[in-house]
Amino acid sequence: MRTFLLKRLPSALLVLLLASFAVFLILRLIPGDPATSLAGPDASPETVAAIRSQLGLDQPLFSQYAGWLGRLLSGDIGPSYAIGGQVADLIGDGLGATTQLTLGALLLVVLIALPLAVVGATTRSRPVAAVVQAVTTGVLAVPPFVTGVLLVLVFAVSLGLLPAGGHESLLREPDLAVQYLAMPAVCLALPSAAVLARYLKDGIERALAEDYVRTATALGVSRRRIVWRHALPNALPSAITVLGLQVGQLIAGAVLVERIFAWPGLGQLIEQGVIRRDYPVVQDLLLLVVAVYVTVQLLTDLAYTWLDPRIRWE
Amino acid sequence: MTTATLTLKSPRVRGRHLSGLLTWRGLTGLALVGAVALAGLLAPLLTDTDPNAQGPLALAGPSADHPFGTDDLGRDLYSRVLHGIGTDLTLILTAVPIGALLGCSAALLAATSRWADLAVQRAFDLLLAFPGLILGLAVTAVLGPGRWPVVIVIALAEIPGFGRQLRAGILVQREREYALAARVGGSSPARVLLRHVLPNAVDPLVVQTAVALSLGVFIEGAMSFLGLGVRPPEPTLGSILSQSVAYLTTDPAFAAAPLAATTALVLGFTLIAEALNRGIRR
Repeated sequence: MRTFLLKRLPSALLVLLLASFAVFLILRLIPGDPATSLAGPDASPETVAAIRSQLGLDQPLFSQYAGWLGRLLSGDIGPSYAIGGQVADLIGDGLGATTQLTLGALLLVVLIALPLAVVGATTRSRPVAAVVQAVTTGVLAVPPFVTGVLLVLVFAVSLGLLPAGGHESLLREPDLAVQYLAMPAVCLALPSAAVLARYLKDGIERALAEDYVRTATALGVSRRRIVWRHALPNALPSAITVLGLQVGQLIAGAVLVERIFAWPGLGQLIEQGVIRRDYPVVQDLLLLVVAVYVTVQLLTDLAYTWLDPRIRWE
Repeated sequence: MTTATLTLKSPRVRGRHLSGLLTWRGLTGLALVGAVALAGLLAPLLTDTDPNAQGPLALAGPSADHPFGTDDLGRDLYSRVLHGIGTDLTLILTAVPIGALLGCSAALLAATSRWADLAVQRAFDLLLAFPGLILGLAVTAVLGPGRWPVVIVIALAEIPGFGRQLRAGILVQREREYALAARVGGSSPARVLLRHVLPNAVDPLVVQTAVALSLGVFIEGAMSFLGLGVRPPEPTLGSILSQSVAYLTTDPAFAAAPLAATTALVLGFTLIAEALNRGIRR
C-alpha cells in the first residue's frame, strides 16, 4: 500500500498539476480581454481598469495562477463572469444531477456488460454467440447522440412511456426521478457497456482456456462454479482498468446526454460557460473533470492490486 | 505469444490485412463506408439544389422535389445530408492524418531516450485526462466554434491512440534479433529505428486508423450537437441531426436521413477495424 502510494501518487499529482497549468494557460490564450467584454462596449478605460484589477487580471501570470490554485485549495472559488453567482454555487447546483446521471450509467454499464460477457464467453450455441457479438459491435458503433435520438423516438414519441427530457430530485420524487433518469442513463451507459463486455468476454474466454479450469473440471466442479468462482475473478482486473478508462468517457458523454435530455447538470453548465465565455466556470470545471479522472485512475490501480495480489508495487 | 509476433512480421502482412477485409464483416464495412462516402463525394452531381437555399416549404415530408423532405427553414434535406457527408469527410480526413502524424512523431521521439519517453508518456496522460468532448469544450473555449476547432480537437484526441500503439510496437520490435543484428552491424541508432524497427512496428496502426476515423465522425457529431462545430448554415451530419431533435415529436422523418448516414459511417469504420484486426490476429 505504501509503496503503491509512493509510486503512483506522484505521477497522478504531476498530471493534475500539468493539467491545471494547461487549463490556466489555454484560457489566457484567448484573444480579447475578459475585463473589456465584461465592462460592455461603452465603458470608460477607468472602469475596465477597475474591473481588471478587481479580477486580478493586472497581476503577473504566475501570481494569477498561484492565486487561482490557492483559492481552489481554500475552497473560496470566487464569482463567475457572465452566468452570474458564485462558481461554487453553480457547480453545487449541477453536481447532484450529474453525479446521479453518471453513477446511474456506471451501474448500468456493469449490469449490462456482465451478463453479456458471461453469456458470450460460455455459450456453445453459435446463434447466441453471434447475437452477443452483433450487439456489442452494433451498440459500440452508434454514437450516444444517435442512440439518444432513437430512444426519444421510440419511448417518448411513439410509446409515450417516458418523458423526453427533464429532471426530478431522487430524494423528493423517487418514482418520477427514475423515469426521468432511465433514458439518459441508458443512452450514456450503452457505448461503455459494449466496450466493457468485449474486454470481459475476452478475459473470461482466456481464463477458461487455462490449466486450472481443466483441473477443476476434472475434479467435478460444476460449470457454473468454474465460470463464476474461477474464470470471472481472473478476468476482473483487466476489466476494472477498462472500466476506469470508461469513466472518462462517461463524464465526457454526460455533456452530450445532458444536452439531449435537458438534464440540468454540470455538462450544461460547462457548455454555457464555453458559449458565453465565462472563464472561471470553464477553468474550474475542466480542472474538476481532470481531478475526477485522475482520482478514478488511482482507484482503478488500487482495485487492480487488491483484485490481483500477484501484482506488487516495488 | 512468440508465434503471434512471428506471424505479425511475416512478409504476408499486407495479404493478411486484405484477407481480413475480404470477410463478410470487412466487405459490409467497406460497402457502408463506400456508399456513404460516394454519396458525399458525388453530392454536386447527385443534386443541383443549394444546400443552404431556404424555401417556402418548412418541415415538408418526402416528395419528388425533396426526396428526404425539408428542414425547419425549408432547406432541401437531401442536398443538405449529401453536402453534410462531404463536410464531415473533409474534416475527418484532414484531422486524422494530422493526429496520426503527431502521435507517431511523439512515439519516435519517445524511442530516443528514457527522459524523452517519460515526457512523452506524461504528455499522453495529460491528453487522455481530457476525454473527447471535454477537450472539444476546452479548445472551443479558446478558439470559438468553427471548422478549425473541430479539426484540432479530432487531431488532438487521436494523438495518444496512435502514439501509444506505435510506442508499444517499437518497444517490442527493437528487442528482436534483427534489430540487434543491425546495431551490431554498426548502424546508427537513428537508422536502426527508422529503417529497421519502424517499418515492422506500423502494422497495428492500420487498425488504429479505422478506429480513428469512426472516432472522428463521433467527435464532429458531438461538437455540432453542442453548437461547437462548423458554423451554420454549412451542413454537417451532426448539425442536421441536432437541428432535428427539436422537432422529434412532430416531424420524426427529419431525423431519419442524418441518423442513417451517421450510423452507416461509424458502423462501417468499426466493422472495417474489426475485420482488419481479425485478419492480423489470424
